[in-house]
Amino acid sequence: MIRIVCLLVAAAVAALPANAPRKAFPYAYDQHDFANGLRLVTIPTDYPNVVSVFIVVQTGSRNEIEPGKSGFAHLFEHLMFRGTATVPPEKYQATLKAAGAASNAFTTDDFTAYHTTFSKEDLETVLRMEADRFQHLDYTPALFRTETLAVLGEYNKNSANPISKLFEVLRDTAFERHTYKHTTMGFLRDIQDMPNQFDYSRTFFDRYYRPEYVTVIVAGDVTAEATRGLVEKYWGEWKRGSYRVEIPQEPAQAGPRTNHVDWPAPTLAWIGVAFRSPAYTDVDKDQAALDLISFLGFSESSEIYRKLVIEEQKVDLIRADNSDHVDPGLFTVLARVKKDADIDGVRDAIVATADGFKDQLVPAARLEAVKKHLRYSFALGLNNSEAVAQTAARYVELRRTPETVNRLYEVYDSVTPEDIRTVARKYLVTDGRTIVTLTGGKAK
Amino acid sequence: MKALAMAALTVGMLAGAPGPKVVTLPGSSPLVTFRIVFLTGAAEDPAAKPGAAALTAAMLARGGTREMSYKQIVDALFPMAAAVADQTDKEMIVFTGTTHVDNLEAYYTLLRSMLLDPGWRKEDFERLRDDAVNFLQVSLAGNNDEELGKEVLYNAIYAGHPYGHDNVGTVSALKAMTIEDLQRFYKDHFTQANLVIGLAGGYPKGFAERVKADFSKLAAGTAKSGVVAEPKAIHGTHVTMVEKNTRSVAYSIGFPLDVRRGDADYPALLVAQSYFGQHRESGGRLFARLREVRGLNYGDYAYIEYFPRGMFGFEPDPNLARHRQIFQIWIRPVEPPTAQFALRAAMFELDKLVRDGLRAEDFERTRLFVGKYVNLLTKTKSAELGYRIDSEFYGIPEYNTYLKQSLARLTVEDVNRAIRRHLRSTDLQVVVVAKDCAALKTKLLANEVSPMKYNSPKPPEVMAEDKIIERWPLDWKADDVRVVPVERVFE
Repeated sequence: MIRIVCLLVAAAVAALPANAPRKAFPYAYDQHDFANGLRLVTIPTDYPNVVSVFIVVQTGSRNEIEPGKSGFAHLFEHLMFRGTATVPPEKYQATLKAAGAASNAFTTDDFTAYHTTFSKEDLETVLRMEADRFQHLDYTPALFRTETLAVLGEYNKNSANPISKLFEVLRDTAFERHTYKHTTMGFLRDIQDMPNQFDYSRTFFDRYYRPEYVTVIVAGDVTAEATRGLVEKYWGEWKRGSYRVEIPQEPAQAGPRTNHVDWPAPTLAWIGVAFRSPAYTDVDKDQAALDLISFLGFSESSEIYRKLVIEEQKVDLIRADNSDHVDPGLFTVLARVKKDADIDGVRDAIVATADGFKDQLVPAARLEAVKKHLRYSFALGLNNSEAVAQTAARYVELRRTPETVNRLYEVYDSVTPEDIRTVARKYLVTDGRTIVTLTGGKAK
Repeated sequence: MKALAMAALTVGMLAGAPGPKVVTLPGSSPLVTFRIVFLTGAAEDPAAKPGAAALTAAMLARGGTREMSYKQIVDALFPMAAAVADQTDKEMIVFTGTTHVDNLEAYYTLLRSMLLDPGWRKEDFERLRDDAVNFLQVSLAGNNDEELGKEVLYNAIYAGHPYGHDNVGTVSALKAMTIEDLQRFYKDHFTQANLVIGLAGGYPKGFAERVKADFSKLAAGTAKSGVVAEPKAIHGTHVTMVEKNTRSVAYSIGFPLDVRRGDADYPALLVAQSYFGQHRESGGRLFARLREVRGLNYGDYAYIEYFPRGMFGFEPDPNLARHRQIFQIWIRPVEPPTAQFALRAAMFELDKLVRDGLRAEDFERTRLFVGKYVNLLTKTKSAELGYRIDSEFYGIPEYNTYLKQSLARLTVEDVNRAIRRHLRSTDLQVVVVAKDCAALKTKLLANEVSPMKYNSPKPPEVMAEDKIIERWPLDWKADDVRVVPVERVFE
């Protein structure tokens, strides 16, 4: 078994376009749907003794459709540690502690993930306790109010970093109706009002913490059969829900937008240049081509990096992000500028780089280098069971199966220089652009 | 405490010939990991040149070689999705990288020339010096109140000591630094005597020997004594308040700790620390009382070893081994109206830990946790290799084995004895990062009652405890509290 998995890993990263097709996600996993809508993905790996469980709820800040309720998906990430009638928080913590487990959670625009990594002998304990809190979470109004303060504390610790503010304003400027308008943390005013929203919190839980929204990923020193039995035993009685969310659709952007943040303290300037980008797909080439453009145009091997970072040294950080989203999102280029006087020049260089893809075909060899980078980068990331589970989670939230990774990498392989130009012409357009700058104050 | 040097390497070490030490973890993985460690660092920065070690390391990992420009190196590494990362601490500089075995030859050729044949170009130097200054002034002082508080705490505890400046240096010293300063540092400290080559994964037979032979090109150098002076004793509580325009108030509290891995009391203190404030886990006492019960902030933790970048990671990075450590409490930012109460609550809990120690059931549970949690620290080959090298530094067996064997023998009395022997709630260094420090200072010095107001009812035991906490005396003297504008912290 061990040997087979290793060979698969080796094969996966060697899968360059010239070779026969091979799978990017190299693990032989087991996928099983239960009658209540819950899905289980078990991924045996060759890393001994350790097991990592990721529970993916397909609910993130995207689902916060009511005004004044931003930040609730993330609040739930906190509330889920507040216990049930049979397992109060102290017992939950004590049990995890006895298992030597590392346990935490995170929330994004599109999903919330609860993860626990531990020694294999504690698998049943962990699956039992997780099943209990997902089905029977029970917190008092008093505990709810206390936990909202920890969320405010989280906002506070983030607030020293101007990047948090830049993204907040960029989202708010780029989107009008879609819930991607707010960050996962939410608006400060909504966080401050959270203590008064106990009843809404129960509604939120009732809507989304249902088996049809949840996939359990178990990776590590496990077998599919035993894991399936345990999940059936503890999660099988969970009742399916009926809520279907309707996310407001974002209208097409009709012209370029700009905004500016005056940061109250000294800092280097930031600039964010965003274009509307499509929803995640493992079928069409649009999203894959934009991913490739983000590396072709703005990675450390790009021309703009050579010019602005290495030679002119006007910028100390530049990168583009085209992260996967359930709905159409943003292709964002972010740069930190050393002198305020250079902001306009850097902005123009970013825009010119984006425009360049519309005019000229990228050299085929350069495109192949980027594809190779993506393959190796993906393979190098799968270096322990927790990383395997977390990587699977990132894709399971989009299509509920790790198989989408393999399809996505096949799409990458199929992208040609002509596709890059076509996609750039479609998305990197002035009418769909939003530019936000941030500059710091003077020292006291 | 015994003086440590890199004593005989016992784990997977190449036997025989002199020259660099090699620690290997061969395996069948298609990935190959390098950890090239030099036993030098910021503690050996020349007196007027704080930052020389880190900038030298940056020039190697993020600059060109004699034959290739930095741009050419970046372009060569890019298709492999590989990189050479540098980490400089007080006594260790490590260069790390992982490559797929497909690319091993190309990657190693680059890595070797980067470390053995650096280019020392002026444009690389200027870019990297800018990066270092901006790291200190912007990323640390400007944009990260928590990491700022921790680094200022170290600088305060080690004032006048080789550990007494940030690893990256000071702004004025960086601005005065020259390429010749770095070349001198490289020549003096990047020697075979200081070198430990770490290799893990599926590299071919004979490869480790080849790397060793290549790196024997470095100057021989001489081995270190392994002695690092004790920091000055702290009498009374000394407070550094960093004034900056920020929303909330961050605290770091600590004092020197004369215990490190390998010392008799290390496992006991590790259990005590885990019980009191396990990093980024919700089971710790501080976390439970300050965040879970009272909603004062996002988290509260304790440490017995250096753990930089804690807000970004769950496990500490390896190869930060030091002869000297501190005990530290990290109170994440609190809302200004509760700042005084939160500090008192932390002090109350520290005092309680020192006075009462652990109960038997807390001890058993924490010991069980630490014994299993240690598996997670080495979940990647790179981390496992890093821990192996650190174990050689400390002269202990492989860390998991060392810890599990020590824990098996440990008793609650051992832990509580170690707490009494090494921990304390007086004679501390405290760092506060806040806006309007003058007003906060007046309030804290006045020692007035600071009652807590909650947004929900609390159990009677909490309310009763609050009555004690709100009056908890802080033994601060006005002369021992200094307010520093943030711009001057790393000057």
